[in-house]
Amino acid sequence: MDTVAPPARFDPRGLVELDERVPGTAEVDGERAQFDARELTTRQINLELRRLVYELGIREVTVHNPGAKHSLGVGILARCRITFAGSLGYFACGLIDGPEVHITGRVGWSACENMMSGVCVIDGNAGSLTAAALRGGDLVVHGKVGARTGIDQKGGTILVLGDAGSMTGFMMQRGRQIIVGNAGHGLGDSMYDGTIYVGGKVASLGIDCVPGEWTDADTEFVTRKFTIYGLGDPPELQKFVCGKKLYNYDSLEPSERKLVL
Amino acid sequence: MSETEYKVSIDAEYLAGRRFEYQEDISQVENVDLLAATPGPDINWLEDVTLLEEDGVPAVFDRYSNSFLKIYFAIPPGREDEIARKVLIKHLESGNSYGITLKERHCKFPQPELGPWVEGSKMVGTNWTAPVLEGWEAPQH
Repeated sequence: MDTVAPPARFDPRGLVELDERVPGTAEVDGERAQFDARELTTRQINLELRRLVYELGIREVTVHNPGAKHSLGVGILARCRITFAGSLGYFACGLIDGPEVHITGRVGWSACENMMSGVCVIDGNAGSLTAAALRGGDLVVHGKVGARTGIDQKGGTILVLGDAGSMTGFMMQRGRQIIVGNAGHGLGDSMYDGTIYVGGKVASLGIDCVPGEWTDADTEFVTRKFTIYGLGDPPELQKFVCGKKLYNYDSLEPSERKLVL
Repeated sequence: MSETEYKVSIDAEYLAGRRFEYQEDISQVENVDLLAATPGPDINWLEDVTLLEEDGVPAVFDRYSNSFLKIYFAIPPGREDEIARKVLIKHLESGNSYGITLKERHCKFPQPELGPWVEGSKMVGTNWTAPVLEGWEAPQH
């Protein structure tokens, strides 16, 4: 008997995972669920997460053995709690809006890039470009972060308990960073706005990044964030802001101004 | 607006074609719970939302539609940012943000229509298909 084979699905660039079947392997217990990601691809893990959060309305998901795969937990646009029991690769939890994420291991570069709102707590270290273009929400890294952390940051809070690499806060436009450890060369280079607090030594300041005057609002903000995340009393911090010599949004077109709001 | 008319500031009511009650009546937003409306134990992303001004009128910026939402009622002194945040959350939870309208029409992957602001809102983007250009044929690889 002749059979007609389904049309071959082929991505000549090799960039797309064509298997879009939802694995449906999670164990669901009321509003909680967990699943093992060891044998799943990136796309399958993300599809399973969306099935649980969007379709079943699960509010607490634990992903075991994420295996440092890239692009996990991306684009979740709902309130929920997600725990990754292990380490993640590049672009972890990017573009999220609402979730509260806990990663018990390390992450690669660009974790939480473009996060709109939510919370992400990383127990280990994070790579370069952590929280690139962060728009809102809190990112807490218990370890160290790489270069250009918070590049193009447009809002939100980055709290790092360890050291930060070079060019941290590069072209930062709004938001806040608390670096408890040391900061590398070029801190806050070409920043437009925002505030950077540093507890350790700063190797060098970037262009137009200058010391700022400490106010009661700074004390309230730092103390509140340390309290929320159970970090005890905050250390003594130096404050850095934009010197307003290099860039000034007030002189730009209205549409340019909107880009950072 | 005619095609030749140039408008610099596009506000939320221009996009929606109407003004909303919560822009004119503070009692409409007084009961908005900012902590409940945001992830985490504080107001999270709303920390970056403050009262601004557009066309000389107090306004809050809606990042989901890239437009200002003007506030026409008198804002009690000392509560400027709080009221701005409440008006914005009311706007988002009501589904009146133009960005939400665009979601219904154009989003390419399944997502809750009202995002993280309203629990259990309907899903949109579940049946999106790529448009096909007339006369175009897929390459043979």
